[in-house]
Amino acid sequence: MKKAIPILFLALAFIACQKNPDFNELSSDLIVYTNYDKSATFGEYQTYAIPDSILILDDKEKPSYYAADDPRTIAIVRAINSEMKTRGYIEVDNNADADIGIQVSYVKDTNTIISYASTNPYWWYGYDYYWPGSYWNPYWYGWGPSYAYPISYTYTIGSLIIEMIAIEDANPTTKKIPVIWTAYMAGILSSNQMNINRTVSGIYQAFEQSSYIRSGVE
Amino acid sequence: MLLLATAMAMPQMANAQIMKGGYFNVDWQFNAPIGNDYANRASGWGMNFEGGYYIIPNMSLGLYVSYHTNNKYIGEQVLHLSSTESLYTDQQHSIYQVPFGIATRWRFTTEDMFEPYIGVKLGTMYSRMESNTQVYTYYQDRWGFNVQPEIGLSFFPMPLNRVGIHMAVYYNYSTNKSKVLTYNIDGYSNIGFHLGISF
Repeated sequence: MKKAIPILFLALAFIACQKNPDFNELSSDLIVYTNYDKSATFGEYQTYAIPDSILILDDKEKPSYYAADDPRTIAIVRAINSEMKTRGYIEVDNNADADIGIQVSYVKDTNTIISYASTNPYWWYGYDYYWPGSYWNPYWYGWGPSYAYPISYTYTIGSLIIEMIAIEDANPTTKKIPVIWTAYMAGILSSNQMNINRTVSGIYQAFEQSSYIRSGVE
Repeated sequence: MLLLATAMAMPQMANAQIMKGGYFNVDWQFNAPIGNDYANRASGWGMNFEGGYYIIPNMSLGLYVSYHTNNKYIGEQVLHLSSTESLYTDQQHSIYQVPFGIATRWRFTTEDMFEPYIGVKLGTMYSRMESNTQVYTYYQDRWGFNVQPEIGLSFFPMPLNRVGIHMAVYYNYSTNKSKVLTYNIDGYSNIGFHLGISF
């Protein structure tokens, strides 16, 4: 019986015997995820609107923003504008006149806001508060976003979310505004601060892997 | 833990066989996955443990368990996770395999300095297929049937003391099926060798 004890120890030892890969070999670069609504007619949209501030998602009761003159906002909005214009879309100032709205959120210090299951219609509960329908049209009080695809990620601290909503296709009956594209990027932090260069690279990468975003193409 | 177990085994090794008519092998393992390119970089991150009893002078029946990790770095690329989803990332792929079960071997000599043998192991295998990104780890654990033929040699330099050197080459196949991100593995095949002690 005593002889079996070392063998027992050996068996137990296997539980923790996996050799971890060298995580330092992983680049400190980005991870960029995109998804879109297959039924969205990106080619038919012509105009878009984008807020001049970046929403900050954190644990505070009221939403806060990176203001229009913040270097992070300037760089992010400039990168998105550059991509949208290259793809044939025209920026308009009045949100209600745009075919598409682009909402940008930065997850600063919470990781609890987004956890989606298609069986749970309230998964986006709380997020409506940050991007209410009335933001895009003053008459859309109580309207909210609707998603054609599941989001299976738990968004982590220090990540950026870009969403494209189809203002033109908002449904007055259901009071829902379709979200037709989601881009999510993580790995944009360095020294616990948003790295602007990396964030901008992530935005370009998000558009690069989303070739369907192009105006005038059926 | 391994050191502790080995330390507990060492006093018994000093004399002779761990039990009369039996054997025990503790081996370092070098393993190369073949048949898939998910994490096919050969590595020495594994161990093999096997013990058996000779039910007739040339044939033994016993138990085996081994574990091994193979990793591989994959540079940045866009993975098309579905018809609408795309993911840009670099990855560290990892395969962790733990086969265990019944081992049988036929040795061609008994009580000699050189003891060549052939063996077959049959059992089950736990596998973890893993993709590590900077932010997330995606993985899938699976079980399957395992078979492992091998050819080996035990070398006992001191005839009165059955503590010796063990070496073997093997082929290992398991029926595990795994899927992570856009990668599929339908059956795990490996070749490799063991180098260790026999007592």
